[in-house]
Amino acid sequence: MGVIKRFDTALIASAVMLGQIATASAVDLEFYFPVAVGGKAADTIQALTDEYVGNNPGADIKAVYAGSYQETVTKALTAARGGKPPQLSVILSVDMFTLIDEDVIIPFDGLAQTDEDKAWMSSFYPAFMENSQTGGKTYGIPFQRSTPVLYWNKDAFKEVGLDPDTPPATWDEMVEFGKKLVKKDANGNVTRWGVRIPSSGFPYWLFQGLTTQNDVILANSDGNQTSFDDPRVVEALQYLVDLSGKYGVMAPGIIEWGATPKAFFEGQTAMMWTTTGNLTNVRENAPFDFGVGMLPAHKRRGAPTGGGNFYIFKDSSPEQQQAAFDFVKWITAPEQSAKWTIATGYVAPRPDTWETDTMKAYTADFPPALVARDQLEFAVAELSTYENQRVTTVFNDALEAAITGAKTPADALAEAQQQADAILKDYR
Amino acid sequence: MRAGRAGWPDFDTALNTVAMCLLAFLWALPLLYAIWTAIHPAAYETRFVLTAPLTLDNFAKAWAAAPFARYFLNTVMLVTLILICQFVLCTLAAFAFARFRFPGRSLLFTLVLLQLLVMPDILIVENYKTIRAMGLVDTIIAIGLPYFASGFGIFLLRQTFMSIPRELDEAARVEGISFLGLLWRVYIPLAKPTYLAYGLVSVSHHWNNFLWPLIITNSVETRPVTVGLSIFSAVDAGIEWSVINAATLMTSGPLLIAFLLFQRQFVQSFMRAGIR
Repeated sequence: MGVIKRFDTALIASAVMLGQIATASAVDLEFYFPVAVGGKAADTIQALTDEYVGNNPGADIKAVYAGSYQETVTKALTAARGGKPPQLSVILSVDMFTLIDEDVIIPFDGLAQTDEDKAWMSSFYPAFMENSQTGGKTYGIPFQRSTPVLYWNKDAFKEVGLDPDTPPATWDEMVEFGKKLVKKDANGNVTRWGVRIPSSGFPYWLFQGLTTQNDVILANSDGNQTSFDDPRVVEALQYLVDLSGKYGVMAPGIIEWGATPKAFFEGQTAMMWTTTGNLTNVRENAPFDFGVGMLPAHKRRGAPTGGGNFYIFKDSSPEQQQAAFDFVKWITAPEQSAKWTIATGYVAPRPDTWETDTMKAYTADFPPALVARDQLEFAVAELSTYENQRVTTVFNDALEAAITGAKTPADALAEAQQQADAILKDYR
Repeated sequence: MRAGRAGWPDFDTALNTVAMCLLAFLWALPLLYAIWTAIHPAAYETRFVLTAPLTLDNFAKAWAAAPFARYFLNTVMLVTLILICQFVLCTLAAFAFARFRFPGRSLLFTLVLLQLLVMPDILIVENYKTIRAMGLVDTIIAIGLPYFASGFGIFLLRQTFMSIPRELDEAARVEGISFLGLLWRVYIPLAKPTYLAYGLVSVSHHWNNFLWPLIITNSVETRPVTVGLSIFSAVDAGIEWSVINAATLMTSGPLLIAFLLFQRQFVQSFMRAGIR
């Protein structure tokens, strides 16, 4: 036993020494990133990282593809608990409270020393920062961020006598348009639905569009209080349920996310709600003229934001943290984030990106890319609390129960609120 | 009555055959769908027209999306390494448990069996710490190491060894054979079906393993095919079934082909080894 132990210590000691030698010449960084929009995104991140390393011999950054968002957070947390965290990772903005709770990340504030750094930190859209700050500190820097928008089929609109350039502006209009757009065959089977709001997996996200439009916020900014049983939330859920039930403009039951763009391309639905992350996909594959618009309004306009932020991990040397900070600053700069936005469809996270020539040329050629940016003015933080996985699961289950008709919206949401209270009471 | 009775067995066989075909068809359906979508353009994913144009573009696209050649090499090295280490370690341990008496034997064997009850996912963090202390993060050995001493393998081989007649063992000992010779000449040859069956289970399990390899590896040089495959599961952009199915066929292809080639041996060895 003794021998093994001594051997172990020797190994660790030599590993530490190796590490020190390496830091003396260049700072080594590991950077985990998830991919949620297909293979091209991985290539773009790799290319950007290579470009940075080429120009900055002092930093050796290794970009590591870490699977989906869920797998990335698992990988990063495992590595952090195992004592070897990445220095930098892109993780869902809603996982901020979890990462703070696990005590594995540090705020960016301590690393921003010059005025220029501080100005940089306040150069992002406030809608994106809502999910990146808590208790007066900034823990995340927005990078691959998105927001849901409405896509509509202009040919279908023309066919039923609607103006192909005007999407529904309100909830009532969406129902009214939807009723016109529903098409049935001779046997009374629906061949085209009016609208499609996907509800599989994480129904809370698009549903948050409806609640925001009904002027209610689902969780406070401290992440320890939810308002699932608010009458306005119930009303929003009733509307969603009615789209399939009372109004008959949406297919009943749970609607798949992954199959939604396909259904839109094949004309099985005339409108769909989905993320801007799909913009490039729709542009390349829709066989008809399509439009992109903001989500319809009710009491107000509204939509959630979504997607991933940069986080800097705690258990690394000050040099590494500083190098990570510099890299984040570079990759979110206007030119780089313009490249990223064009390659993926994610919303560029700061106003000056949209002022670059690259971006101007892109939006002149493809104006729908601007819709998401304009909608940001009305956007709110994605639902995020402490114990985020558990709380959103409770909420998702309630939504699914109401959508499938197992419970009434009011009952389902009251139960969800009770369960969320039980989970969150330790954090108040 | 007579005619009816004579007709029964036939009817029975026919019913069995029909049920078998139906089940086989249901079982093969996902595979058939995967093949259909993989060899047709994306437009025919949900439209089954016999005259649909055939294409290999999906395979080309999938192959180009990740460095699959390297991933295949890694996976082959990984499963080979694991299989060899498991065979050596499990054989020796199983032989000791089956044929030697030593203090603490049943306690040790209980500990080995306990391993079967623990979900490997629970141990991810502890395993990571161990691997890191050994300085092996991001190596192929690190992916395999936690699986070398397989409780299932030890248990299975011990049961097989215990069922080998004592007489053979004693006859060999009378000839003055060493323990290792005994193992090599008598036990291992008689346990061949078990090795084959266990080998198949082990290879297919590690071929498909995803989470642990993803967590412990960081570079193209060490990652297995499953990690490469996961790049296609991008929900945000809508799933391209044709490409994802082409990639799935590609990565599971070698296993499928191996199974079809050795089908008879596998089925027989499973029957003999008693794993179902």
